[in-house]
Amino acid sequence: MIEFSNVTFKYNVTLSDGEKEDIYGIRDLNFSIGKGEFVVLTGGSGCGKTIFIRLINGLIPHFYSGELFGEITLNGKSIRDMSIFEISSKVGSVFQNPRSQFFNVNTTDEMAFAAENQRRDPEEIKKRIKDTAVSMKIEKLLDRNIFELSGGEKQLVACAGIGVLSPEIIVLDEPSSNLDHHAINRLSEILSVWKSEGKTIIIAEHRLFYLRNLADRMIVMENGSVSNEFKCEDLKRLSHEDTVKLGIRTLSLDSVSYDCKPGIGRSSNLIFRDFKFTYKNNRHSIDIPKLDVPEGCVTAIIGHNGAGKSTFARNICGLEKRCKGYIEYLDKRLGYKDRLHNCYMIMQDVNHQLFTESVEDEVMLSMTGGDMSEDDKRERVREILDKLDLSKYYETHPMALSGGQKQRVAIASGIASEKPIIVFDEPTSGLDLFHMEQVADAIKDLIRIGKNVFVITHDYEFILKCCDHIIHLENGRVKDSFNLDDGSICKIKEFMCEMSEVS
Amino acid sequence: MEIGLQSAQSRDIFHLDPRTKLAILITVGIIMMSGKYTGVEYVLRLICVAVPFVLLISIRLFRSAFIYVLLMYSTVLCEGFIIPNTKGMVNLMIMIICGVISRFGPGYLCGWYVVKSTSVSEFITAMERMHFPNIITIPMSVMFRYFPTLKEDYSSIHDAMKMREIGKKIKNPFTYIEYILVPIMMSTVRIANDLSAASLSKGLGVNRTRTHICKIGLGFIDYVLIISMVVMLVTFYVF
Repeated sequence: MIEFSNVTFKYNVTLSDGEKEDIYGIRDLNFSIGKGEFVVLTGGSGCGKTIFIRLINGLIPHFYSGELFGEITLNGKSIRDMSIFEISSKVGSVFQNPRSQFFNVNTTDEMAFAAENQRRDPEEIKKRIKDTAVSMKIEKLLDRNIFELSGGEKQLVACAGIGVLSPEIIVLDEPSSNLDHHAINRLSEILSVWKSEGKTIIIAEHRLFYLRNLADRMIVMENGSVSNEFKCEDLKRLSHEDTVKLGIRTLSLDSVSYDCKPGIGRSSNLIFRDFKFTYKNNRHSIDIPKLDVPEGCVTAIIGHNGAGKSTFARNICGLEKRCKGYIEYLDKRLGYKDRLHNCYMIMQDVNHQLFTESVEDEVMLSMTGGDMSEDDKRERVREILDKLDLSKYYETHPMALSGGQKQRVAIASGIASEKPIIVFDEPTSGLDLFHMEQVADAIKDLIRIGKNVFVITHDYEFILKCCDHIIHLENGRVKDSFNLDDGSICKIKEFMCEMSEVS
Repeated sequence: MEIGLQSAQSRDIFHLDPRTKLAILITVGIIMMSGKYTGVEYVLRLICVAVPFVLLISIRLFRSAFIYVLLMYSTVLCEGFIIPNTKGMVNLMIMIICGVISRFGPGYLCGWYVVKSTSVSEFITAMERMHFPNIITIPMSVMFRYFPTLKEDYSSIHDAMKMREIGKKIKNPFTYIEYILVPIMMSTVRIANDLSAASLSKGLGVNRTRTHICKIGLGFIDYVLIISMVVMLVTFYVF
């Protein structure tokens, strides 16, 4: 059905120092995918899996520029000879970022959009929207404003749009990177329905655990070519150790190991009092009368979408004036204004918090030591940057860096600001194994220099890598708060694994 | 306040065709901006003042509708009683404020109603019916779609600046504006790129017509309204 013969794709990038370089996105690839197959593509960032996806949905060569050699055919017809419109009737796509894949603001209109473009009969489209909504159990999401939905709900709407169009081939590019475990479950249910309908499905993904029972084949890519290929049976036999060796995320959350690290944290506690906050629309509110968190450790904040995790994080940082709560920390009482001085958040989209023209200036901007001389400051900045593996980029514009590097620049600013509490909002969404471990290491270093770290996360592997304490939120209240050790690990497992591995 | 083209038609009391909305917007705009306070024109102005109220009620924005009515009444009362009885600076101030509210208010609210009550796909459909080329319609609809995204971006950039206490450190207003604009532009470029890719892969193209699930068509109310708008405009210019 889909044939790649001797495909090479080369494109031009501007490096951070302004020079241009040719990069091979795909190198001499021969590959074929049969009708009804479910293929999982994985591998580190930049391994070429996104390009693979774009070659199938025609965005390469029709939208993204670069040099394409070799031949790709859909049902025997070369994608070069097909217009993107023709391809779009056969291939449906779900993209990584739920924020930027919708043309319409109204959900029903969006579900109809692709089918309308194909000039399908309006009555039939309406009927299909109804049927799809019923079969995906998303009647509640019909006729809503897209900006009111969570990331998970947006991805469901994107899938519903494909359900309405019902193409033969469906490609998905990291659809789960912004989703919690509940939403991933829904996604995997939808995928299994599509599979049973005989659709050909190609999915590029880092988080693999939800695909273990669905995949017919898994391709591990490296530098634009296939480095490993696993059939359905072999795939299920891969242990956690095997996947670590391959450099990919685990296939089974159950098998992730945890090495207990006793003795972390200090005896004193951070005490949260009266954290009550409600938004005007009454959603995502929190109500936390009292909460003790051991000082000097990494605290993970877990819970479903809408449980109030982000609200809690915003309140920790003092971003909501109306919150009357305070933190008792080292015999001080931190109200919202003090928390603005004492807390620093690494946002999910770090692009929103980088302002200056060079990495060095960026970190300088956060330096507080008023009595230090300019040179001392500069020296301190370089020291921080060196530790975070950014010594090559002092003069680089922050926006020219890769996602992970930007994140580390933001961390560097946090360290430079000397604030004792650092909050991360989903730092590992969309990260491969290597980068996830890198973030985990950076966070452990923060603890070593005496910071308190809070992390909102849905990433089980990441929690086991670096977290010491867990706060489980549900409906804005603390459902559970415990130290992570061999005994309590089952509680998180219960929350995260069992939900996702039912399929 | 939400911005951007959106709709939840099912909850509306009555729903107008985008073309009718356009006719209303133009008529109310012209009459309110240039009408005099005497004779027939005064009667036309009174009618126009009532239009946004009805429109806002029709999309269940009761609070805004009543605030609007209160504001307009107090303006009219000011114009009738306070302006003739004051002198000098105070008189001038009140006159300017009242003038601005009564001349721009109804037109502005009609515009707000159009944006609030029209969905992206209705907008595209109506533009197609009026034979506007897609090359104008599609970028315009993407623009409307972009406003709420811009709002989200702006608020998180604002948070980041607050957290880094940039307002205190940077005194130069131009640098401050630059710090807001650079991240916004970067994210605009990225989102615009992703959005184009997504729309293309869903088969949107400039040279093709599409089908529509949204019902667009001139109903009884639409004809009545359009005819009365035309009558009003004609009266306005003849007398």
